[in-house]
Order: sequence, then structure tokens, then C-alpha cells
Amino acid sequence: MVSEEEIAHVAKLMKIELEDHSSHIKRVQKMLEYFDILDNANVESEEIIVQETDLDKLRDDKYVPYDKDLLKFLNSYQGKYVKAPKLN
Amino acid sequence: MNLGISALNYVNGIKNNEFTVEEFISESLDHIKQVDEKLHAFLRINDFAIKNAKEIDAKIKSNQNVGKCYGMPISIKDNICIEGSKTTCASKVLENFIAPHTSTVVSRLHSEDSIIIGKTNMDEFAMGLSTEFSAYGPSKNPWNNDFVPGGSSGGSGVSVAANECIASLGSDTGGSIRNPASFCSVVGLKPTYGLVSRYGLVSYSNSIEQIGPMTKTVEDSAFLLNIISGIDPNDNTTLDNKNQDYLSDIDAGIDGKKIGIVTEMANSDGLSTNVLDATNDSIKTFEKLGANCEHVSLQMVPYTVAAYYTITSTEAGSNLARYDNVRYGYELDSSGFEFNSYISQARSKLGPEVIRRMILGGFVPSAGHAGKYFSKALKVKSKLITEIKHVFEKFDFLISPTVPIQPFKFGEKINDPVSFMMVDFNTVTANLTGIPAISVPYKITNGLPIGIQIMANNLEEHSMLQAAYALEKTVDLPEVQI
Amino acid sequence: MTKIGLEIHCQLTKLESKLFCSCKANYREFEPNTNICPICMGIPGSLPLLNKSAVEKATLIAMALDCRTPDKIAFFRKNYFYPDLPKNFQITQLNAYGNTSIGWEGKISVGNVKIRIRRIQLEEDPGRLIYEGATEKTKLTLVDYNRAGTPLVEIVTEPDFETPHQVREFLNILSDLLENLNVSDPGLEGAMRADANVSIEGGSKVEIKNIGSFHDLEKAVHFEITRQQSLAERKIEIVQETRHWDDGRKITVSARTKEEEAEYRYHLEADIPWVRINDGTKNQLQIHMPESISSKKERYVSKYGITPQVADILSSDRYFSELFEKANNETNAKDIANMITTDIMGLLDTREKRDASKLKGDHITDLVEYIKSNKITRASAKLALDEVIKNGKRLSEIIEDLNLGHVSNEDVLSGIIAEVLDEEAKAVEDSKQNPDIVNFLVGKVMQKTRGKADPELTLLLLKKHLDID
Ligand SMILES: [Zn+2]
Repeated sequence: MVSEEEIAHVAKLMKIELEDHSSHIKRVQKMLEYFDILDNANVESEEIIVQETDLDKLRDDKYVPYDKDLLKFLNSYQGKYVKAPKLN
Repeated sequence: MNLGISALNYVNGIKNNEFTVEEFISESLDHIKQVDEKLHAFLRINDFAIKNAKEIDAKIKSNQNVGKCYGMPISIKDNICIEGSKTTCASKVLENFIAPHTSTVVSRLHSEDSIIIGKTNMDEFAMGLSTEFSAYGPSKNPWNNDFVPGGSSGGSGVSVAANECIASLGSDTGGSIRNPASFCSVVGLKPTYGLVSRYGLVSYSNSIEQIGPMTKTVEDSAFLLNIISGIDPNDNTTLDNKNQDYLSDIDAGIDGKKIGIVTEMANSDGLSTNVLDATNDSIKTFEKLGANCEHVSLQMVPYTVAAYYTITSTEAGSNLARYDNVRYGYELDSSGFEFNSYISQARSKLGPEVIRRMILGGFVPSAGHAGKYFSKALKVKSKLITEIKHVFEKFDFLISPTVPIQPFKFGEKINDPVSFMMVDFNTVTANLTGIPAISVPYKITNGLPIGIQIMANNLEEHSMLQAAYALEKTVDLPEVQI
Repeated sequence: MTKIGLEIHCQLTKLESKLFCSCKANYREFEPNTNICPICMGIPGSLPLLNKSAVEKATLIAMALDCRTPDKIAFFRKNYFYPDLPKNFQITQLNAYGNTSIGWEGKISVGNVKIRIRRIQLEEDPGRLIYEGATEKTKLTLVDYNRAGTPLVEIVTEPDFETPHQVREFLNILSDLLENLNVSDPGLEGAMRADANVSIEGGSKVEIKNIGSFHDLEKAVHFEITRQQSLAERKIEIVQETRHWDDGRKITVSARTKEEEAEYRYHLEADIPWVRINDGTKNQLQIHMPESISSKKERYVSKYGITPQVADILSSDRYFSELFEKANNETNAKDIANMITTDIMGLLDTREKRDASKLKGDHITDLVEYIKSNKITRASAKLALDEVIKNGKRLSEIIEDLNLGHVSNEDVLSGIIAEVLDEEAKAVEDSKQNPDIVNFLVGKVMQKTRGKADPELTLLLLKKHLDID
């Protein structure tokens, strides 16, 4: 079983506060336990299959200025800069 | 006025001057006002709906070109953006988010003169199957208000079933259109991955999700699919469907078609007796329609729910990382905060299910665990694609019950995460493989609906709709009492 | 042995638009946050739209660096939270399911050192952070997202460099190449950035990050080697760590932040299908490309019979191989190649010297011709080369100016030989026992003529004087 510490560590990496959410840990553990079923699928040798496209279908390199004032949609800025909390 | 008419009948009604757009819209708004306090299908109603209706009426009167929808009221799941209006994904994190862009599907509906009547309720960020995870409270099943309407596009399902609008657009990541369609007794179609543009859809698990119609009839789904499908320069994953007309020959029938009954889905542990009975009954119906039904096994199916949750959690962990409240979100002064603690603080507004998925999404693809979970999930997905490809060499369609159970009561499943996940058992295969699938209302047992799922090969929506139409024509279900 | 590896980030500044949206690739002319759109800002509902030319230009770079290129490229998400990343993930590349990055296993020669390229990948640049005031007092971080989404090519080398000089030379060659391919303007501020890893014999690998310019990169590497050597001399362990280049103090500083476990949760970016790059496309790109180093080398060996070693050195340096192509008239290729690799490369071993040099292909053609027809000695040729590089005059003029022509007049030479024999009586005496002494006397004659004496004639005359056959 995945330990509470491991889950708490991951939560921190994902910027999730677990203090008020300790009940989540049990649920997450149960879900992960269920995922163990994947061990029986016997798929180690499978090649992955993905969607593909051709180079010519991609966007042409053209500068098209965005025609709206996006800053208007952003909630927290100072002058022309977006405000973020300090680092470290 | 009968608000319960189909989209095609609505168009005829307008064309035959039986009612005006404004009359229909205003009556719909009245009806919403009456029933939605109880049902809570909508998160927001379009304040300009009457104004839009008048404009379209004016166009009709002056014989201008009018789009195919003739002002038909359509509701939109609240994870699909419309410029200048709120798109919350039923989350507190996006409570104040006003989209700067309009999704391709809504643009196409607008250009066909439909009226977006409102934005519908859903599980937060589409994670859930009952709307119980909406940050704004659940929607109620119109067939019995004590029961969930399914989800995550539960609000869309309810809005169509309760005649609050003609049709709706939902999104389907693991059954989020088909599950509420089945629970509310409406038609719900999950298109082939890439058939419908995701531009403007707020991503949850972008490798497998699609926008699709939820309608009163199979024909209406074909009608809407005609409008919303096809290649879009704003979405690199869209496919060219050569402007196929999904309505043409929809009544062609399925005589001589080969139908595979997916053994794992038609006999799963979690299958309820009522649903099993309905499924067996539908098999007889298909045979009466001239199809050959035969059981077929898909060996990967038992692993699909685990694979589905692994992949969706991983992608959700990444797609929802942007909700750090730095660029947009809700008011929270960042000064004084350190970056990490600010983000954690901001993200504590995420609801419980989203929080769990974030943790799972941090865990299953991480360096130490990817081999056990994420890589295996991707390989299950790939092997399933190969299996499905082989199966469609022999069969035209695959069928199963859409959901192994009937609608359940609020709170009934929420505390058991595994049995909750298993509700998706029959629907995730279409998402993992990219194939189209449709849920057709089939039966009402003990006052609650049961839907049958038809799956077809990639881009075979046209024939899939023919099969769905044939099945639909054999059933005569009671009207929902609201 | 010192080992240095590099990670170069090069913006594709010659593109019009960003990697995944239509905002301008060159963000420099904009007011803060005015070169942004929903895509590069990661607004919910937006989807990345891959720039076709970015793929082509990045592939050109890979081809020019002799990389292998894939049939399909794939993009991945590198997930981490940082305010300059609007989506809190970066769209980049990884070779997790086979080789799907823009290129891999390339090589380029720097002088006679071969630098292997491990991988080239295409990715998006983050925005820029602006700090207010001193770090400790800073209450917040200001972000300008104009740069976010700028197309960036990351070039990762193997740790094949041994000296800071080689690093510098490599960067010069790379800059030329990128300019030449018309993909980037390396002179633009911030267009080229680099991280380095440095280890000395017996020590751990140290990463140096945050090096803002190529000029500083050489300095940073130099500083780091010296630092590590001084630790080693004092028997202090060199710990594996990440250090930052302090631009102000010109030193590397340990990155104090606790090593938070690097957990990027890489997974495929499903919004961008894998892009097929077929042979037709590659051939099309090849047309726009200077000949690859390996094919050039092969041509030199097979067509001109140049030894593989010389061909290798010559082909890997664009400057010298161009010189070779101009000087070579099909009959003299071997001699030209030898002159370039043995004489000229040493004289023009830095970019500055090459930039200042007036040497042209014709000069080398003439030099080789003059030596072959005995109009000038090898020694004089070297002096002439020095002059040509300085003033670019025609060879005949220089020979006249410096009086470098052969002394092949028998009378003149006999006079000089007489002088030498007079001065070297002992040698003359010894030569009776040991005829090889004659070579010493040839040398003396050469000294007196400052290398201009025709060596064969001198030997002949000396032997005559000394009665040796
Ligand atoms: Zn942009």
C-alpha cells in the first residue's frame, strides 16, 4: 500500500494542501490499490499507438497580432506586468 | 406550446409559422424559471436570449438567409467557452473567469442561428458522473429528484430531458455525455476523437475527450453533428470528415449488419438485473431488425477503468496546473505570499474530487511510479485499440448497456471510490480507443431510465446513427413528469 | 581529464511567429505583455497550434549538425510550477518512446576535437521575470509573458570539450552555422543562452546554469575548472551540485536552494499529434542546406585522395573548408589541404584572427603553385603567408617586397657557400669522416640567406666544394 507520507509528498509537489483533506488520503489509497489490476494486463511488450499528422497540415508561420486586450481578462497586474508572488 | 419537440420539429414549426422564435424562447425561459430551481440544470441563463430571438425573427420575416437552427434554444456545458461570458467548469477556482474566446462548436452553432439559452451544471472540471461534485450543488434527475442525473454533463442531460431546451452540448471524457444521457433518457453521442473541435473546451483529459450532442432524438444528434463536426484550424487534432451528412439515409436500417455484444460489458460483476434484462431485450430487438448478434470478448476491457483513471489523472494534473490564480481566477492578494504557499492557498478552492485527482495525477506518472501505472495504462490503451481494430474487421457495431446500473440516489456511491469508478466500466472503452459511441434511451424500469450503447469504428458515425435510429424507432417510452 | 558538456538554448529568431501561436517570435520590440494571446498565456480552452516552419528550421539545424532525424516528432509536457510558465508546464521534447526529438547523435569538429551532439529538441521559451528591488526585500515578482512561447532549440552535447577555448570555438562555429542557415540571429540579446557541466579528473559533475551570453560561458567554464582544480589540490571533495553564474562578480555560486526532487511528470502532449516528416521533406530541406560535414569529408577523401584524418579536420570547419573549396583547382587539392591544415589553421586559430585575415583562396592556390615550381621555399612560404594574412596583397608582390624569391643564382650562392666554408673550418674538416655533416652546412647557408637559398642547388654546390658524391 502506498504510504501516507508518499501521498503527502506528492500533494506538496502538486501544490495541494492536505491539512484539511486528510480524509482524501484513504480514498486515494483505495483508488491506487485498485490500479494494481494493471499488473495483470500483460502489456509490457505493447507499442504505444498515437495520433499522427503531416507536416503540411501545420500552421503556416505568420505573425497575426492578437486583436483583443488580453490584460483586461487578467486579474492581477501592476502597470504592464502580471503580478506574481515572490519566489523562495 | 409543446416545449418537448425535437430539433427537426422545432425547425418545421418555425418554417410553418406555428410559433415565432421569441415565443418559443420566452416560453422556454418561463419553463426554466419554473423547474430549474428544483432541477438545477443551469448555472447561468443567457440574458440576451430574447434579444437574440427577436433578431432571428426579424431575419425570418424579412426573408434573409437564416441558419439551419432557426433560433433553436441550445444549452452548453459550462466547460465550453463563449467570449465575454463566464465559464466556470462548476469550480470555485474559475468563479470569475470570463473567456476571451468562443469555442469552435459555439461559433458554428451561432452561425447557424441557434440561441445559447444558458450554461449547464456539471461535475467540477468534468470529474465525476453524478454532478455531485459540482461546486454549485448537484442537478436532479427529472425522472426522480432523489436520484442523480448522471454526469459529468448532468446539467445538459437534465436540461434536454426536462424540456428546458431543444438540445445541449456536453463533453465526454469517459462517458460524461452517454452516462447522463442514459440516466436522463436522452440521446447522447460521443464522436470519434478529432471529429469535433476541442477549441474552447476547457481541457480535462485532452487525449481522449470530445464534445458531443445530447438530444431528444437520434435524428437531432445527427442534425447537430452536421453543424459541429469537421476539421478546425484551431485544433491540430481535428479530422477531415469531408462534410459528411449524418442525417442522410438515417432510416436505412440495419438488416444484415453484424453486431458484437461485448461479453465483458454485458456480463460484468456490477451489472444490475434490470439493466441486464433491458440489454437482453435490446439484443432481441436488434435481431428482429435483421442484424446478427453475437458475443465478442475484448480482453483489455477489465483493465480499462484503471487505465482510464490513470491517464485522466495524469493529464488532469497537468491541465489544471494553470489554475494558480496568478493570471486569472479569483481575488486573492499575492503580496506578502511566497510563491508556493500562494499557489497552494489558491488551489485549496478546488473541490474534493479534483484534489484527489490532482494527487493521483502527481503520483501515477512520477518517476518512481510511471512504470507501474502510467506506462502500463498507455499500453492497455494501445492494446485495446489493436483489439478493437480486429473486432471491427468482423463486426459493424458493438453494443452494451451504456451504464451497468440505473441512476442511483444522491450520496449512495460517493463514499466508495471503487464502485464509483466502476460506473464508467462500459463507457471508457470508446474514449480510450477514440471510437464513436452513442447512448439510446431504451427502457424505463421502476420509473428510471436505461440506455443502450452502440459503438462503431472510427469515423463511422453515419452508420452508427442509422443503427441508433433503427433501435430508437422500436421503443415507445413514457413522457417524463416534471 | 577535464570534461565539459554544454546545453545550448537558441531562439529561432528568424521565424515570424511563436512556436504554438501567431504572436511575434521576436518579442523584443513590444511593451510588456502586449505580445500575448490566449494560447501563449494558457487561457483555458486554448490549444497549441504548432508552427510548421519551426519544425523545418529546427530540422535544418539537426541536419547541419550531422544529427540523425526522426520519421515522426513528438511533443511532451514537462510539468513544474513557476510564474514564468503560463500553463505551469513547458511543451518540449523527449525521447521516451523511441527517438522522436528533432535530432540526435550528431557531431561537429572543433579544430581536431570531435564534439558529439547528444540530442536536439524543439521547445517553448518561458516568459521573463522582473524582480523589484533587492531579492530579500522583494514583495512580489513581476512577469512579462511576451517571450512565452518563443521557439527555442535546445542542443545538448556530450561532455567532449576539454578546454574553455574549445567551448568558445564551438560556440563561434555554432553561431556562424545558425546565421548561415538563416534560423537565428545569435547577436540578438537573449537569443543564445547556455548551461554547462564541468568535471575534472576524479571529481563529480557540476552544472552551471544561468549563463546569459556566450562570452560569459567561456569565462564561467574557465572559472569553474580553476575552482575545481584548486579544491582538488587542497584535497577537498568536489560535490555534485548546480551552481549559478554570477554575472556581476564573474564567479560561479552554489545554488543554495535545497535540491527539490526534480519531478517533471513528463507525458505526451496530446494536443499536438506526432508529426510525420517524410523523406521528401527532408530532401527538400537538404537543398537549402550547406553540405553536411560527413558528406563533405567523404567527398574530400574519395574525389581528391586526401587522407581521412586531414579530410576530417578540414571538412568540420566551415571557414577552412570554404577556403579549401576556393583554392582547390582539382589538380592541387592534396597540397592545398595540407597547407591549410599544417600552416594556415595554426595562424588563424581564433575567430578574431579569421575575421581580420585578408587571406583568400587564390593566395593559397598561388603559394602551392610557387612551391611546386620551386619559385619559393617552404620556409619563405610561411613568411609570405604571414604577410598575405596581414595585407592581402598578391603573392608575386609580396615575394618581391620581401625579397623572398629563391637564391638560385650559382655565382651568388657559391659566394655565400665560400663564406660558410671559411667560417665553419671544423665542420669542413669533420665532413671528411662524416659526410652527413653536409646537412649542417646546408642549414648554415639557409641561415645566411634567410631561407631563400634553393635547397637542392645548395646541396649540389656544397658537395662539389667538399668533394663528396
Ligand atoms: Zn500568443
